[in-house]
Amino acid sequence: MMHRCLRSAPLAFAALLLATRMEAQAADPSASFHGAASMRDQLAALEKLGLPAHALAAPQGIDAQAWTASIVPGNEPTAERVALGKRLYFDTLLSQDGTVACATCHDVTRGFTDQRPVSEGIGGKLGRRNAPTTLNAALLSEQFWDGRATTVEHQAGMPILNPIEMGAESEDEVVARVAALPDYRAAFQRAYGRAPSYADLRAAIGAFERTLIFLDAPFDRYLAGTGPLGEPERRGLVLFEGKARCAGCHPLNGASPLGTDNNYHNIGVAARDKDFEGLAKRALAALAEDASEHALDRLALATDMSELGRFVVTKNRADVGAFKTEQLRNVVLSAPYMHDGSLQTLWDVMDHYNKGGEDNPFLDGGIEALALTDAEIDDVVAFLFTLTDVRFAAENERALATQEARAAKQRPFKDEDLAMRRVLGFERRVLGAK
Amino acid sequence: MTKIPKIQGIETQYMAGRERLMRSLENLDRRVFLRVSAAVAAAAATRGVALAHSYQPVMVADAGTPFRFAYISDSHLYEKKLNDRFIRSLLRAVDDVNAMDPQPDFVLYGGDLAQLGQPAELDLGAQILRSLKAPLRMMVGEHDWYLDLGAKWRALFGKDIYSFDHKGVHFVVLNSVVEEDFWSARGLTPMQRMQTVAGLDNRSQSNFQVGAPQRAWLEQDLAPLANDAPVIVFSHSPLYHLYQGWNFWTIDAPEVQRILARFARVTVVHGHTHQLLTNRIGNIHFHGLLSTAWPWPYAPQGLPELTIQMNRPNPFNPQDGCGDGHVDVHADGLVDKVYDLWNRDSIVVPREYLASNGLQSRPKAANVASY
Amino acid sequence: MKPTAMRRNRFFPVISGAVLGAVLVLGCAGKTEGEPREVSVELCDGETTLALAKRPETRAEGQVAADAMMASWRKKNPAGDWEQDVRSRHWLAPMHDNSDVLAAGQRDEHPGRFFSERDLLVWKRETETLVAAGARIFHSGDELGSTIAVSCDMCHPDAANTHPETYPKYQTQIGKSVLLRDMINWCLQHPVRAEPLAENDPRMRALEAYLYAQRSGTPLAYGKH
Repeated sequence: MMHRCLRSAPLAFAALLLATRMEAQAADPSASFHGAASMRDQLAALEKLGLPAHALAAPQGIDAQAWTASIVPGNEPTAERVALGKRLYFDTLLSQDGTVACATCHDVTRGFTDQRPVSEGIGGKLGRRNAPTTLNAALLSEQFWDGRATTVEHQAGMPILNPIEMGAESEDEVVARVAALPDYRAAFQRAYGRAPSYADLRAAIGAFERTLIFLDAPFDRYLAGTGPLGEPERRGLVLFEGKARCAGCHPLNGASPLGTDNNYHNIGVAARDKDFEGLAKRALAALAEDASEHALDRLALATDMSELGRFVVTKNRADVGAFKTEQLRNVVLSAPYMHDGSLQTLWDVMDHYNKGGEDNPFLDGGIEALALTDAEIDDVVAFLFTLTDVRFAAENERALATQEARAAKQRPFKDEDLAMRRVLGFERRVLGAK
Repeated sequence: MTKIPKIQGIETQYMAGRERLMRSLENLDRRVFLRVSAAVAAAAATRGVALAHSYQPVMVADAGTPFRFAYISDSHLYEKKLNDRFIRSLLRAVDDVNAMDPQPDFVLYGGDLAQLGQPAELDLGAQILRSLKAPLRMMVGEHDWYLDLGAKWRALFGKDIYSFDHKGVHFVVLNSVVEEDFWSARGLTPMQRMQTVAGLDNRSQSNFQVGAPQRAWLEQDLAPLANDAPVIVFSHSPLYHLYQGWNFWTIDAPEVQRILARFARVTVVHGHTHQLLTNRIGNIHFHGLLSTAWPWPYAPQGLPELTIQMNRPNPFNPQDGCGDGHVDVHADGLVDKVYDLWNRDSIVVPREYLASNGLQSRPKAANVASY
Repeated sequence: MKPTAMRRNRFFPVISGAVLGAVLVLGCAGKTEGEPREVSVELCDGETTLALAKRPETRAEGQVAADAMMASWRKKNPAGDWEQDVRSRHWLAPMHDNSDVLAAGQRDEHPGRFFSERDLLVWKRETETLVAAGARIFHSGDELGSTIAVSCDMCHPDAANTHPETYPKYQTQIGKSVLLRDMINWCLQHPVRAEPLAENDPRMRALEAYLYAQRSGTPLAYGKH
């Protein structure tokens, strides 16, 4: 309603824009929106993490050649660009109502995610997807659960414009708001040598995200021979690479430190009641009308077709219900899990895989019941807790206590019959019995 | 009580049908089985499942209308309690084919429904295939045959050798897995015989052949057809010499080729090799079928030059390199062969590719890395 | 021969045929009863017997009797000679020909100080037996311990696509660089759904032997994909 008004009345638009900006400027940095920590608290927490001023050189744990290759040409993460990106990352000015910044859903104090099943945007609107962490995200081959953006620079521009996330009307509108502030204009000039543009705005956010590399975990020290790993954790690692089949999609080693194959799989999450065939037909029809990046973005976040995952990007039948293999780094901090945030603890995650996922016609052929015992599940989970960067050691301990307590009370996804292959997934599906 | 009318989607209806099927699997004792067998025959009659029919003289086939048939092949089922994986894969193929829109005119099953020819394996396969929406045409493979030399298979599916006409194309289904008796002299039990044939690299068996009586039948079956009539032949083994060590080989293939040589438009579609396989000998176009159970590696020798190879699949995903697919038959009787690989993009081998001897319309290579 | 056969027996409990043959030829289990004119000889299986006109006196006579009994035993136990059985079923790549190791005339001049034809035969027999044992296990879901009746040859006829010459190699399924035996164990755990084998398990050693043997002549190319 308001938007229609704005389009038809440019003068009113400018007035409102000014009002919005002034409102945002007036926003108290100690104010907290949508459950996120205040920007002031987040920035204080960020200071303690000791991030580098720029990301031109490969951080510890990353091969120099691989790092250079991952940099977007023309957006070398210089100190000026990182500084600008950092400011933008924490600035609610980018959103339509001045309540949402990148840091709202990628909160420094919450593992750089929001620790909610699905994210809340302007006006309390809920999306359909769980916010992945921005930690190490720069190292992923593709962004979002369905890979509809490649680099963090590309990704950063999309939530700003999505109507249920930050809800900005247009790229120009956002740029106008930023360019109205002299110190932003100066910062863009220092970073890119020109006036603010949307391309530079999202590139700067991406440059900042390239400083968020957190790969110094007990597991790395164990691999390097400089730190111990407990007996259960070592048993967990053997299971991780063997019986539990984790490493097939989550390769975790010196050269592949994130623990993702950068690929997409239907692992049978929340697939029980999905009419995938019907959804796929609807999605193809919708995309035939409008295949733009933003149409895709809205379809992925605001409709039932969200469950189609990678399919909406590739339109390939093999990708129906397939989502990106998420990194395992700092995984403890990013609960709840999966694209829809439907699993609360790592025990739930293991229970899910142990029973071979929720059977569905598009389930990845590599997902099979694992026949892991309770003790084995405990070992794998113990191993996963060694993947948290040492700078988050305190959070790791807290999360362990929380998850342990929760798992002791409830394991809603545990299914011994399926896990031990006494009953087979497809039988359960076609019989509909529990 | 008021009954609330429910509107069911196709998938729901299909799942309900599948549920009934699976319930019947649970109580598959002998008595129930007989009932189910009868139900198969009844369903065949009512749903138009094409069981083998007797030879009928056919005159010249007219230039037909284009149509499509789907295929599923080489499922190698064990009993459910022994191996769930192969059953899951066959169910996936049935799902795929049932999701085709529009539905294919019929579904070819390319042989090796069972792994060791056991009645329970064949019964299971027959029941799963019953949930196909389109009519089914069955072909026999050696894994279906060598326990009881076809007794159970024929009881379920009828004749192993037959022909039919569809929209102007003459179809012939052969039993190309006939082997010389290697078992009697050695005193092998039926199961030992079956296990010997079931080993692809087992050299203590004979090679496959169509055999003189079947070749004579074939000649007679084709006799009424003009040389320009479109003909499609289904055989389980490739009707050419590829690699003898693995029985990618039919001894009397050259003789069969001679019978087919007079036709200007003739295609042979075969199972057994579990891989993308394309060949042309004279006017005869050859296409292999994918397996639902596992992919075979390419043979060390004899690979036809026209074959676009499938990359080595990833064993992490037991379904990689497997799949099903369909065949688009053009009005001229030549076909586009479509391989629907489950973990990869589909690959189409268009008619122009073979018609031009590989000079035009070369299929794109596999899009997934070799493992 | 006897110690060899017994060692094999310990490693591969299935190989009763070879043990029986060896035991009988060595004459440790043939029992004779009654006086000359008619003798009944019993094989150590406790079932097979042979009627002879008189007690064998020379080694040659004993050998004839032993051969006759083994022939009758083999007829009853067609799979008993496992190695011959494996060879009849599966193609095994020929072992490297070591005859150039024999210098001309060396055997006559310095017996015992150079390798002899007998040495070469021992090498060949022992190596080929190890390889054949690998082929047997490779083709047997039961011996692999498969819980779903899957054996290696179902995806790798004649050990095709096992490419042992490419190890060490990064295996995406395991997420790191591994040795051939690691991949064998991965395959056992997953496609075959069996328990992994200890690295010194005789079955593991035999499987490795078979895979390497089948790729004889292929240049090493570690890490090759």
